[in-house]
Amino acid sequence: MKYHQFIHGFVLFCILAGGALTFWYAAGDTRLQLTAGVVTSIAYVAWGIIHHALQGDLHRNVVIEYILIGSIAIVLLLTLAL
Amino acid sequence: MNIFRILHHWLVPHEANNHRAKALHHEALLAYVLLLGVFNLGIKFLHKQAPDVLGYATDIRVEQLLADTNAQRAQTGLSQLTLNSTLSQAAAAKAADMFANNYWAHNSPQGKTPWDFIVGSGYRYTLAGENLAKNFQTSDGVVAAWMGSPSHRANIVKPGYQDVGFAVVNGVLNGEETTLVVQMFGATNAKPVAQIPQVQAAAPEPAKTVVLPKEPAAQTSEKIPVVSAEPQTIIQPAAQPVLTMGAVKTTPLINISGLTQRVGYVFVGLLIGVLAVDAYVVSKRRVVRLVGHNIAHILFLATIIISGLTLVRGSLI
Repeated sequence: MKYHQFIHGFVLFCILAGGALTFWYAAGDTRLQLTAGVVTSIAYVAWGIIHHALQGDLHRNVVIEYILIGSIAIVLLLTLAL
Repeated sequence: MNIFRILHHWLVPHEANNHRAKALHHEALLAYVLLLGVFNLGIKFLHKQAPDVLGYATDIRVEQLLADTNAQRAQTGLSQLTLNSTLSQAAAAKAADMFANNYWAHNSPQGKTPWDFIVGSGYRYTLAGENLAKNFQTSDGVVAAWMGSPSHRANIVKPGYQDVGFAVVNGVLNGEETTLVVQMFGATNAKPVAQIPQVQAAAPEPAKTVVLPKEPAAQTSEKIPVVSAEPQTIIQPAAQPVLTMGAVKTTPLINISGLTQRVGYVFVGLLIGVLAVDAYVVSKRRVVRLVGHNIAHILFLATIIISGLTLVRGSLI
């Protein structure tokens, strides 16, 4: 169980670190940065759904929550890019 | 007392809010998305209606661009570039053409290359390059962004250049108020072909004295032209450094970039705070509930907002 949690945490770390590094690499190219932000958000939502499905506590409310958090991140980035 | 109860209901999980801070319920999260969206669209609308009130604070000056460019060259032990009025005219013509034909690229839709503008201005180059930037707020920001891009940096710290020209122009590009910065580099120190290592052996004699190679796919804008077999036709004394200073300085009542950043950081800070309190209280009370992982949400939002620090409106090509 702990091993699975470690793997899940590691995957999340890779998603977030990959997103942040892409953001940093694409500095100066706003469109690419926003694309990286959207991809990272989608990957995060997917991670949340898969993580909870594997844990056996996936519920419609959990899916909606991850989608809403991902949506907040995307709209936030679009606002910061104004 | 009422306010305390409302805050408690919105920020702290307990029985009455189903052990989840009300501020983290689906309806609240959806409201945040919609509010941010309305805020975003509202700023765009108000900016179009009253750019003097809600606009972008810009302060870009040619003298500062020149000083920053030369400071970067000095750091690598290179000679200083001289501000050249002919190159500045070429840069201004390029900027005017971009606004007139509504494009953001090194080559125009009609196929005009940067070198056409340089040659058209009367600058006979043996080596030339172009850097473009748009919508940056400061001169330092423009040069810092160029230095952060390998292809643009290569132009700034190229040993062969002698002259540089700038144009800083405000206009409307693709329906958006845009500040364009065009930086054109050049060198005129032509020597006989055989003595210039970077000059390729003359191919079939062209009609012009300078043949321009095909545009590369990469972002880099630098060019090394092929020189004709008659070097004397391209040798010219260095153009006189008559300075054509330009600047764009706008100071709206409210700076959009500052406003959006403040709103964004405060909003995410509050959201992360509520998530942290919610996670702490539930963990302490050992409540079992069917929700997402607060810690994961915090890490995700923190990553987004930290990454957002590098998000600038300006872009390069």
